[in-house]
Amino acid sequence: MTRSTGTDRRLPPAARRPMGGAAAALALAVVLAGCSGDGEDRQAAQSAGRKQALTASPAQTAAIGAPGASLLAMPAAVRRDATRLAQQASFGPSEALVNEIRSQTSATWVAGQMALDLSRYSSGGGDAIHRNTSETDFCSQPQFASPNCWRDWYSTEPLSWDFYRNAVSQPDQLRQRVAFALQQILVISGHEVSGTYGFRHYYNNLLALAFGNYRDVLRKVVLSPVMGEYLDHVNNDKFYPNENFGRELLQLFSLGTCLLTPDGRLQGGSCQPTYDNATVRNYAFALTGWTYPPGGATPWGCWPEGANCPLFGADMVAAPALRDANARTLLSGVTVAANRTAPQALESVLDSLMRHPNIAPFVGRLLIQNLVSSNPSPEYVGRVAAAFESGRYRSGIKRFGTGTKGDLAATVAAVLLDAEARADLPHGGFLREPVLLFTGALRALGGATDGAPLGWWWGETLRQHVFNPPSVFNFYPPDYPLAGTALVGPQFAIHNANTALERFNFLTYLFDWNGSDPDPNIPNAVGTRVNLDAFAGIAGTPSTLVDHVSVLALGKTLPATPRQRVIDAVAYWNSSNASSDWKRRRTATAAYLVLASPDYMVQR
Amino acid sequence: MNRTTRHDAGRRAFLRRGAGLAAGALAGAAGLPVMLGSRHAHAADYKALVCVFQYGGSDGMNMIVPTDTTRHGQYAAVRGGLALPRASLVGLAGSQFGLHPAMAALQPFWTAGQLAPVFNLGPLNRPLTKAQYLAADAGSAIVPQALFSHSDQQKQWESAASDSLSRTGWGGRACEVLATTNPTISVGGNGLFGVEALRSPLVLPGPGSGFGAYGLMPDDLGWEPNRLRKAAVDALYAETPGGILGGAFASQQRVAFEMSDRLSGIVGSTPGDAMSVPEIDAAFAPLIQDGYIYSWFGQQMYQVAKLIAYNATVQGSRQVFFANQGGYDTHSGQAWGDATTGPHADLLGELADGLAAFQQAMNNLGLGASVTTFTEADFGRTFAPNETSGTDHAWGNNHLVLGGAVHGGATYGTYPTLVLGGPDDVGVESWELQGRWIPTSSVDQYAATMLAWFGASPAQLDAILPNLANFGSARSLGFL
Repeated sequence: MTRSTGTDRRLPPAARRPMGGAAAALALAVVLAGCSGDGEDRQAAQSAGRKQALTASPAQTAAIGAPGASLLAMPAAVRRDATRLAQQASFGPSEALVNEIRSQTSATWVAGQMALDLSRYSSGGGDAIHRNTSETDFCSQPQFASPNCWRDWYSTEPLSWDFYRNAVSQPDQLRQRVAFALQQILVISGHEVSGTYGFRHYYNNLLALAFGNYRDVLRKVVLSPVMGEYLDHVNNDKFYPNENFGRELLQLFSLGTCLLTPDGRLQGGSCQPTYDNATVRNYAFALTGWTYPPGGATPWGCWPEGANCPLFGADMVAAPALRDANARTLLSGVTVAANRTAPQALESVLDSLMRHPNIAPFVGRLLIQNLVSSNPSPEYVGRVAAAFESGRYRSGIKRFGTGTKGDLAATVAAVLLDAEARADLPHGGFLREPVLLFTGALRALGGATDGAPLGWWWGETLRQHVFNPPSVFNFYPPDYPLAGTALVGPQFAIHNANTALERFNFLTYLFDWNGSDPDPNIPNAVGTRVNLDAFAGIAGTPSTLVDHVSVLALGKTLPATPRQRVIDAVAYWNSSNASSDWKRRRTATAAYLVLASPDYMVQR
Repeated sequence: MNRTTRHDAGRRAFLRRGAGLAAGALAGAAGLPVMLGSRHAHAADYKALVCVFQYGGSDGMNMIVPTDTTRHGQYAAVRGGLALPRASLVGLAGSQFGLHPAMAALQPFWTAGQLAPVFNLGPLNRPLTKAQYLAADAGSAIVPQALFSHSDQQKQWESAASDSLSRTGWGGRACEVLATTNPTISVGGNGLFGVEALRSPLVLPGPGSGFGAYGLMPDDLGWEPNRLRKAAVDALYAETPGGILGGAFASQQRVAFEMSDRLSGIVGSTPGDAMSVPEIDAAFAPLIQDGYIYSWFGQQMYQVAKLIAYNATVQGSRQVFFANQGGYDTHSGQAWGDATTGPHADLLGELADGLAAFQQAMNNLGLGASVTTFTEADFGRTFAPNETSGTDHAWGNNHLVLGGAVHGGATYGTYPTLVLGGPDDVGVESWELQGRWIPTSSVDQYAATMLAWFGASPAQLDAILPNLANFGSARSLGFL
C-alpha cells in the first residue's frame, strides 16, 4: 500500500518508510476490536480499513461543533490556566479535558484524578521464560518460537504499546503522569535486564502506588527482582556485597549526594556529602539476604545455595543463607542491630531514608521538574517539601494526604496547585520531552495509537525510548545546564541540532504522512494517526482553523505576525490545487506549525 | 527525502556554500566531484582535539599492563582471574608495558611514535598525598566531591573541576576563550564537555542520517507550500517567546537550521557515496561491511574524520570534537577464560579499531600531526577484582593520547605502586583495600598539555582551567 506521491515533492517516496511500517495487509475494522479479515478481499480490506482508520477517532467522542470552539469562547486567562494544568497533569490537553478542568476548581479536579485508578500494563508474555527446565533456549522451543518471541517475552516493547495507548486515551491521566515521573527517578532499563513480565510488574506497582506513600514505593523498588538484577543486589554476597544498589538508592532514589536545606539548596552553600563510602558499604550489607521469589527453574538448578532461581513476578523473598549478621550503622541515627532478618533490616533502611531531612526536598524537587518546571524557586521547593514532610496539603476546602511523611497525594497536590505552578513566569516550564510531544500531538488532534512506532523508531530518534533509558541516571540528568542562561534544562540534555529537526519530522510523519498503518505484527494494532477530518467544518476559514488549533495546543492564539504567516501557509491549499483533500492539508499544515512553535515545544 | 535526492541536495548545497572553493567546480568523469583540492583546503595551521569518553569508567589497569616480570607478577597476584597473561599483551617496544590483546590495531601507531599512554590520571583539586586525603574533613575542597559516583566524576572529567557544580565543560571553555568559529562538535551526545556559557555543543548524527527537517531544507523551498511553511516557522522562531527556556530553545532551533543547511551533505555521507572521502574510506576499510560501519564508535570517528576533511565547509582553524563509547561499568563478568576475551575486551577492541582507523585517515589526509585524540572516563576501576569477576568504581586511571604531534613511543605520568593499601591506594581499613589509586596527575594538567599545543597561551590556560594554578609549574605532562 503506497501513499500517493504524484508531484508532491514534500511527501517522500515509500522507500523512505522504515521497515515494519508498511503493512502488507490491513485488518478490517482496525479501530474497533475486530478480527483480521482473513477471508476478505485484500484490496477492499485495505481501502475500507484505511478509510475507517482515518475517520474514526476512538479516543474522543465526536465534538459538537468545531474542536476548539468552546475554548475560544472561554476567557483567555481561564483557558490559559486550564490548558496549563492539562499540560502539567496529563499527557496533553484536549478540548474535552480542558472543559472538564475549567468546570471545577483545580483542586477538585486534581482530587478527582487521584481517585481514578484504571491504567495498567497487560501486554507481553508471562513467567514461562523463568520456568524453563529444558536445555533448549526458550525462544528456540517450538511452542514459543516466532520472530516476535524476544519482543513479546523479554523486551519492553509490549509495555510501550500499553503505555502509549493508556497515555493517549485513558482518563486517569494524572496517575499515569506521576507513575511516569516515578519511573524516571526509580530507574530500571530494558537495556540491561530482560523479562517482559518483570517490567510489567514493576511499572504496575508504580501506577498502583502513585498516590500512596513514597516509603511503600521505595519498598517495592528494593524488593523488585528486576531492580535486583539491574543494580546487582539480588543474591548479594554477605562477605563482600556489591555496592551498586546501595549507592544508587542513596544517590538517585532518596537523598542525593549533598546535604540540602528544607527548600532544596546546598547546606552551607557548597556540597557537604550526605554519606561517605563506608556508609554506602553499610547499606549494601544491610540489604543483603534477598533472593528471587520461589517458583523459578532452570535445567541446572538454582545458584547460589540458599537462593532461588530467577523469577520476576513478585517481591523478592528473604534468603537467610545470604544474610549479613553484623550490626550496621545507617544514616539518620538508625542502626541495624546484629542478627536482624532481611525484612527487619529493610524497614530500618527505609526508616533511615524517610527520616532524613534530605528526602522531602530531593523528591519534591524532582516531582516539580517532571510535572511543572525545570527551575522551581527555592520557596516553591520548600512548600512542596513541606507537604512531603507533613503528609498533608490543603487547597481551599480540599485536603490531600493522610498525615504520614512521604504522602504522594499531598506532595503532588502541592506541586500542581502551588501559586508558582499556576503562574506565568519567565523562568517557568520545561522543554516538552519526546514522550509528551508524541502523546500531546495525538491527544490534541483526536488521535489514537497502539504505540508501535513511538518506541524503537521515534523514541530512539529523539533519544527517549520509553522503558529503555541508557542508564540508571535516566534519559537526562536533573541539573543539565542550559547554555546562554543561568537555568537548568534537563530535557535539553537529549536535545541538539539533530533532534531539534527530528521533532519537526515527527510532526511531518504524523500530520502529513498520516502516521502509521496498523502493523499486523502488533496485537490489536490500530496504527498511529490523528483525525484531521474533525476540523473539516472550519477548515474553510484559515484564520478560524489556526486559532482553534492554537487554543487547543497552547491555550492561546499565536502572536500577530507568526499567526499571519501560519494562516498564509494554511490558505495555500484549496479546492483547485488539492481537490480531494484540501481541508485535510490545511488542517495538517495548521497542526504542524502550531505544534512546531516554541510555545508548544516548551510548555509553560 | 530519499538517499539520492538528499545526496544530490547535499552536493548542490556544498557547491553553493563551500568556503574557499574556486568558482565553477565540475563533476569529474566518474561523477565524483573534482574538488579534492577544496576538500583538503584547510585553514592555515588547522588543529583539532578529539575527546573520546569511555562512559561507565574503563578499567585502565587492564588496558595497559606492565610486562616486566616483577611488576607483572604483582599485577597477576592481585588481579587473579582478570590478569592478562604476559604473553598475550601487545608489546609497546622500548617501554615496560603492553596493551590489552584486543588493542593490537594501535601497535603500528606506537611504532610510528604517535601513541602515548598516560598513567594514573584523575580529578584533583591540587596535588594530594594519601596522608592529606585521609586527614581531610568530609566536604573538604581539597578532595574532589562525590568520588566513585558516575555522574559526579563524569562531570569532573568533562569540566576539569573538583566539584560537580560547573555549568561548562573544559572543551567548551577552550572554544570560548580561543574564540573558535564553531562550538565543540559532538558525534556522541550532549556531554557537558562541550557546553559553553553561551553556546551549546553542535551534536550531529551518524553517517546516513538525514540531519534536516523534511520540506524545510533549501532544496525544498522551490515548492510554494514548503516556502510558506518555512516562512511561518521562521516567523514563529523570530519572536522572543515569553520564557527563558523558550528563548534558548528558539535560538538552538535557528542554529539547527543553519547547521543543517551547511552540513547535512557531509553528515549524511556514507562510505563510497558521492561525498565520501577516499582517504577516509581506505582507512576505515576494516570497519566497513557492504558500505556500512557496524560499530557505533566507528561511525562516530568516521563522522569526525569527514568533518575534519571538509574543513572548508565546517570552517574554523581550531575545532574540538567529542565522541563517546559506553558500557564500561563492568561490575561483573568483565573478562572470560584466560581474561583476554569478554565484555571489556570487546569494548577495548572496538575502541582501538576505531581510533586506529581514524588516525590512519588523518595520516592519509596529511593531517596526522594536526589532530590529537585522547581518552577520558568516569574513573578507573578497582585493581582488585570483586567476587563476581568484575571491578568496582575507583579513581585514578590510565588513558591514551594519539596523534602525529604527540611525543609517542613513550609513557607519561606515574604508574601506581601495585600494593593494596599501599601509598597510592585510598584504602586503609581491611575491607577497603581494593586498589583505588589517588591520581598523581590531574585532568587539569592533562588538558593543559593538550590545550597548549592547541594554541592556548598561559593566561588562556588559567582562564580555561581554574584549578591549574594549584599545580604550580607542573603545567604539562610532556606528551605534546
